[in-house]
Amino acid sequence: MAVCIAVIAKENYPLYIRSVPIQNELKFHYTVHTSLDVVEEKISAVGKAMADQRELYLGLLYPTEDYKVYGYVTNSKVKFVIVVDSSNTSLRDNEIRSMFRKLHNSFTDVMCNPFYNPGDTIQSKAFDSMVTAMMVQAS
Amino acid sequence: MSIPDYMQCAEDHQTVLVVVQPVGIVPEDEFFRIYKRIASVAQVSIRDSQRNLYIRYRHHYLPENNEWGDFQTHRKVVGLISVTTCGSAKEWPQTSDRFHSQKDVFGATLYDSRLLVFGLQGEIAEQQRTDVAFYSSYDVCPDVEKRVEDFVESIFIVLESKRLDRATDKSGDKIPLLCVPFEKKDFVGLDTDSRHYKKRCQGRMRKHVGDLCLQAGMLQDALVHYHMAVELLRSVNDFLWLGAALEGLCSASVIFHYPGGTAGKAAGRKPSLAQGQGQAADAGKRHRPGAQEVLIDPGALTANGISADTSSEIGRAKNCLRPEDIIEKYKEAISYYGKYKNAGVIELEACVKAVRVLAIQKRAMEASEFLQNAVYINLGQLSEEEKIQRYSILSELYDLIGFHRKSAFFKRVAAMQCVAPTIPEPGWRACYKLLLETLPGYSLCLDPKDFSKGTHRGWAAVQVRLLHELVYASRRMGNPGLSVRHLSFLLQTMLDLLSDQEKKEVTQSLENYTSKCPGGMEVITLPDGLKLPPVPLSKLPIVRSVKLLDLPVSLRPHKQKGLLENNMSTKSPFIYSPIIMHTRGEERNKKIEFRWVQGDVCEVQLMVYNPMPFELRVEHMGLLTSGVEFESLPAGLSLPAESGLYPVTLVGVPRTAGNINVNGYHTSVFGVTSDCLLEGLPSVRTSGCMVEVIPSLPRLQLSTSLPRSAHPLQHSKEELSSSVSVQLFNGETQQLTITLENIGSEDLETLEVTSKTCNTKEKLFGEFLSWDLEEAVSQLPLKPGQSVTLTVNIKVRLDFSGGENLLQDLNDDGISVTGLPSSSPLRQVLKPRAETKPLGSESSKTDYNHVKTDRQTEANCSFSHIDKTVHRVNVACLYQGAADLNQWREQADASLNYILCVCVCVCVCVCVCVCVCVCVCVCVCVCVCV
Repeated sequence: MAVCIAVIAKENYPLYIRSVPIQNELKFHYTVHTSLDVVEEKISAVGKAMADQRELYLGLLYPTEDYKVYGYVTNSKVKFVIVVDSSNTSLRDNEIRSMFRKLHNSFTDVMCNPFYNPGDTIQSKAFDSMVTAMMVQAS
Repeated sequence: MSIPDYMQCAEDHQTVLVVVQPVGIVPEDEFFRIYKRIASVAQVSIRDSQRNLYIRYRHHYLPENNEWGDFQTHRKVVGLISVTTCGSAKEWPQTSDRFHSQKDVFGATLYDSRLLVFGLQGEIAEQQRTDVAFYSSYDVCPDVEKRVEDFVESIFIVLESKRLDRATDKSGDKIPLLCVPFEKKDFVGLDTDSRHYKKRCQGRMRKHVGDLCLQAGMLQDALVHYHMAVELLRSVNDFLWLGAALEGLCSASVIFHYPGGTAGKAAGRKPSLAQGQGQAADAGKRHRPGAQEVLIDPGALTANGISADTSSEIGRAKNCLRPEDIIEKYKEAISYYGKYKNAGVIELEACVKAVRVLAIQKRAMEASEFLQNAVYINLGQLSEEEKIQRYSILSELYDLIGFHRKSAFFKRVAAMQCVAPTIPEPGWRACYKLLLETLPGYSLCLDPKDFSKGTHRGWAAVQVRLLHELVYASRRMGNPGLSVRHLSFLLQTMLDLLSDQEKKEVTQSLENYTSKCPGGMEVITLPDGLKLPPVPLSKLPIVRSVKLLDLPVSLRPHKQKGLLENNMSTKSPFIYSPIIMHTRGEERNKKIEFRWVQGDVCEVQLMVYNPMPFELRVEHMGLLTSGVEFESLPAGLSLPAESGLYPVTLVGVPRTAGNINVNGYHTSVFGVTSDCLLEGLPSVRTSGCMVEVIPSLPRLQLSTSLPRSAHPLQHSKEELSSSVSVQLFNGETQQLTITLENIGSEDLETLEVTSKTCNTKEKLFGEFLSWDLEEAVSQLPLKPGQSVTLTVNIKVRLDFSGGENLLQDLNDDGISVTGLPSSSPLRQVLKPRAETKPLGSESSKTDYNHVKTDRQTEANCSFSHIDKTVHRVNVACLYQGAADLNQWREQADASLNYILCVCVCVCVCVCVCVCVCVCVCVCVCVCVCV
């Protein structure tokens, strides 16, 4: 499963970022941060043609030596980034998609909370537990 | 060939390489001056042939790389220009020898060479030589460019002859096999007569001819040759050369499609920069996918000197690759290069060239794939310097395709590489410079103003890390001033994001640095021109509100009423105007009602709190003001850890009159002094910061001979009162001495005393208070430090003849008279009154009279009684001035005319068993007018 899950606001700052090996959190920050370049490029490439019927799932953003980075952009330009271990070959594209869908649903719930200000970092417990469920259990 | 040239781009394939080198001792700056002049001749149009020759100059080139010249001719050094200093004719033979030995280094490939001799005069210099030019000094060499142009033309002649030689030399039976250095041993003992071998030779030669054509400015021929080479080499699986042929094809196509160049900068290739950019933009527009059918290119026509013959254009267009195909071919070429370990540099350079082309085509995604590939190309053991260079160039290329974050990432890696532990002499300066360049990529701006709006939003973890690295690098650079600046920035902008532990660490190191170099408010300018704006630590402590305080009541100035009216000339004929009202309201917000006085201590109250988990010591906290000269008296304070709102009063003395504006405050925390302006702090509540300062006023201290009253009289807010009390029997007289002392710095000029009785019910008769002003006035004007006394006689005479009224009043006041030890007549008095009250006015009057006459006796009897009771007379002094200081002030400015008044209030209380008060107030007014 995922080793890092991040939610990034429209203005490209993180709303939520969580990774499994806590000791190397910064590395994932860098990974997700640089992946935004690719996300932006992908959005702008598609955006011109058909803004409405855009596929939310962006697919593999880029592979690194150890990880694969996947992206997903909601219609409100909120980005989800999931980093998975490259060694985990059993993970199919469909599973990644379903992870994103779950993430999106949960994010929608967060946004529905009247006490949540859009643009603030996400502190919802429900969201947190959902993300935890999707992460690799640190063993 | 081990060192890649990261600056290469596709159009370099059409250039010829000329090395410019110094011989012997040449001052570096002089050499580079000459080098620049030589390098300005980057493009020469050849007479008679309408073709252009492009020249690439290098002042440093590895002979090792020269060996790859057959593989790609633009890697071959074909020209050598040596620059030398020669002082005398004696040195000449030696210099000449040196030049020849240098020629030998590149000897195998050189077409021509030139020697520029500076400083030599005389016989030798007189002789006309084509390969040597003599100049008397570095400053007097007007025809360097001309000489270089001639030189280039001679190169062109050789190039053209070679091209023709190779291109037409098809009939020759033996075509030599061209090969790259590492291939040489592979072909030993190979059958040179096989068809396979011959084809290989042919293919390689075609490719070589293609290169030469491209260099000679014959684009179309080059394309044809490359196409043929590709066919030939593909059939014999000569992958390395196939790759080269494909790359040549790509380069030629790129040159055709993008005459503006792909290097990003038009680097002298075009006559003017603006034109080059225009063409590049134009090219980009034309070559959007699917919109490039028409390939007649005016830019190409002028640049390459090709006639506008459409048929040849179409022919060219056929051979030329379409823009989207270029990348496919590049990919193919790179995959072929990838098969050879020794061609790593070629592969890497091809990647870089492809990325540059893609950047022009705005296909960032594909470009990033090429770059990703380039990262993994192994060039064997790289030196640290090469690693830095590689990361820097990767960063630059990522930036080129718009991947600023990735670019920042690599730049940071390069920065870290500069100071890798394996390097004996870490380049902290370079590291710092590179780190600074990464800032935009991490959307970090070193101006704290950008952060004052709302909460911080960004990649905090990454940014904090970067700032820490900047701090560390600047410290190692030996510039603690920069460290302090970065640390303060870190504290100021990232405070909410730091943990308690981090806060402690950061402040501790900040204190360490400031002990060496205190932080200030000046802008730090770095050598490369970057300015680091000052960082005011407005969050240490956080100020919540700023409130200007009025002066203490005793010191408040009062406007003289009479004169005020004259100034009220701004009366509007309109009764109501909402607009004016509105603006007035705003003005009120801005300007405060009360006034400060020049020379008096004025106060501003701040509500502050400490967000740190430890005690915060703030030193030299003072006010920043504008408008008038203000002497701020700084205060030091110590706030407990995570304190709540904490009031702090800052004081100062205005030294001139006018409008003072409190702009902010300055503090010194952890050795960093900061000026925090209120306009930059939107979270601060303020009720206005502008206040009028009026010219200084005299001060008067008033004291009396009577003891102070225990029950001060309450008066209107305008007047300040201090009460003295005195108890008097009816008929008693007492003197009250009022001493007026001028404790200010201005002269007091007039004195006026008025009295005012506070009670309307006049129960006193005769002169209650009397004084003689003459004596006091004669001593005026009162100089500072002098005092004058004024004697007031208090004489109490209660009128009991109107006892009826008196008692009636007592009744009206709700005071019960029952239980009074008074005689029955008194009761009698009361009785008829109660009876007569409901009667008409006339009867009442008569009744009144009756009672009054009756009372003659009665009054007498009660008088004796009252005599025994204590008549308490309270004499209170009411005056402008502090209760303690009894200060009193006068205003010296005639235009403003403030008046100060002193009220002496005397209360006479008559107690008739139960206390009945009759108040009489006498005001003593002292006016001083100038």
